[in-house]
Amino acid sequence: MNAYINSSELLCCAGDKDALMKAIYEKRTGVSIDTSYMSDTPVALGMMEYNDFYQLGIELVKKILDDSNLDDFHNTLLIVGSSVGGMRESEKSYFKKKNYKNIDPNKHAISVISDSLMEEFGFLDSRSISTACTSSANALLLAKRLINVEAYKNILVFGADALCYTTVCGFNALGVLSSKICRPFDKDRDGMNVAEAIAGVLVQNVKCKDSVELKGVGASSDAFHITNPDPEAKGAMKSMLDSMKDAGILAEQIDYINAHGTGTLANDNVESLAVQTLLPKTFISSTKAITGHTLGAAGALEAIISCEVIKRGLVPPQSSLQDAQNGEINLSKTSVKKDINYVISNSFAFGGNNTSLIFGVVK
Amino acid sequence: MKKIAVRIISSAKIYAPVKIDNLDEKRIVPKMMIRRRLTRNSKIMLYLADKCGFSGGKIVYASAFGELQATVSITDSIISDLPISPTSFQNSVYNSAPSYFSLLNGDKDEIITISSGRNSSRDALKTATLQALVSGERVLCVATECLDIDRINEVNSCTKYLESGVAIVLEIVQNSENSYELENLKDDGVIDSLQDLISVVNMCELGKNTILVEL
Repeated sequence: MNAYINSSELLCCAGDKDALMKAIYEKRTGVSIDTSYMSDTPVALGMMEYNDFYQLGIELVKKILDDSNLDDFHNTLLIVGSSVGGMRESEKSYFKKKNYKNIDPNKHAISVISDSLMEEFGFLDSRSISTACTSSANALLLAKRLINVEAYKNILVFGADALCYTTVCGFNALGVLSSKICRPFDKDRDGMNVAEAIAGVLVQNVKCKDSVELKGVGASSDAFHITNPDPEAKGAMKSMLDSMKDAGILAEQIDYINAHGTGTLANDNVESLAVQTLLPKTFISSTKAITGHTLGAAGALEAIISCEVIKRGLVPPQSSLQDAQNGEINLSKTSVKKDINYVISNSFAFGGNNTSLIFGVVK
Repeated sequence: MKKIAVRIISSAKIYAPVKIDNLDEKRIVPKMMIRRRLTRNSKIMLYLADKCGFSGGKIVYASAFGELQATVSITDSIISDLPISPTSFQNSVYNSAPSYFSLLNGDKDEIITISSGRNSSRDALKTATLQALVSGERVLCVATECLDIDRINEVNSCTKYLESGVAIVLEIVQNSENSYELENLKDDGVIDSLQDLISVVNMCELGKNTILVEL
């Protein structure tokens, strides 16, 4: 069976799906400068406003259900992708009380997100993936395979990560945070913007009038370094090539690359090399200058962007770009109207964990 | 629900009340500089993979609580206004253990990390079965938990063993005759997130090596 994306919604620092797509095409960032996490070190972050992160997720999933062909989720598998789970709440308690007594281990774990959605919607079953910044991309990879082997008819993939001190201060310790809006692929880029988001994607074995097909998936490991990507880009190329093989298409058939494109020196160098080698003529941009890097939510969030790009037939511009470091890849500073049949979306993570997803028009 | 028959090629388990004594680290990871960076979950995973005779291929790893020691190191630095160790941060992600395995063994294949709370090893088994089904390859399915942090007693009411791990290598069998349904053969006191794989290992010890797994 083929896997179709039939309903989706998201929330990030640039707003919901429609607001985000408008922001992407208008090159209007949702990222802002913050000093609340590190008072003496301003950093640019993608922050959302909310009181209860889990309630936000429930409201988003309700919207997806309302927009779907389903009456409920009782025959739907839930797969959550998150890198930190309940860390934000654990931190609050620990920083206040300076002990662990008020921390509920079940609410610290990654599975706190699926637990709250299970309780509200009564999904058939659930599972949670945590492979850092590829978490929800890998959730989509598994969803496609489960549909392909006819194990499930409906799967809701939900990517979610809330900002917390551990991630903001941790990335700062690695020296990869920018104090400005990030500039993916620019020669003067100086780092990434950590961000938060929630994104839900309903994957089904039937198509509807607005479907986009999840056509191919590929994954690999660099086996190079625990945080730095392989400078020869072998891992990145392998995940991209595997996804093309799974989709049954050639590189030349891909019309747009939604890049991982964090704006760090290492990532963008390696991803550029992979793209220069495999897809030098294909339009490429990173939307992280608009959304920030939403970590475990990024795969699902950028899957939605990829589907919208196909539906709108409009290649997103590379925001924040002045001078590209690598002139051998096809970055465009303006939107490009064209028929878009296939989009590849890359997600790369700590541990050299690489995942590529290919979305295509339904034929 | 679709059930797939898998054969368990090899299996291993280990646990200790506080710290597992001998993980054969010097033989498995001869380079001291790398060995020093490994998390406890990584060391247990490497030990179990070695016991299972697995040196490369697809991995499905599971942990409900991930790298608690690295996480505690980060939050303690923040609360004390001290610099965060970059090594602690890079080690704090849930996929650290299989990533170190990949690094040390030159394994460039797919790694999926599951963290489904008490269902972590159940979901790892389902996912490993899916990975074996779509690839036709043998898959390492491994789950570990390391809760040996200062003041763990403030929150731990769920296990007698602060360090634990379990692993199997599985492959798909075409003929599901003579396959067994999963039995509840838990080891008393082991954390819930490992118990479903513990049951599989215990079934193997009883000679029940071919089991049915619901995807």
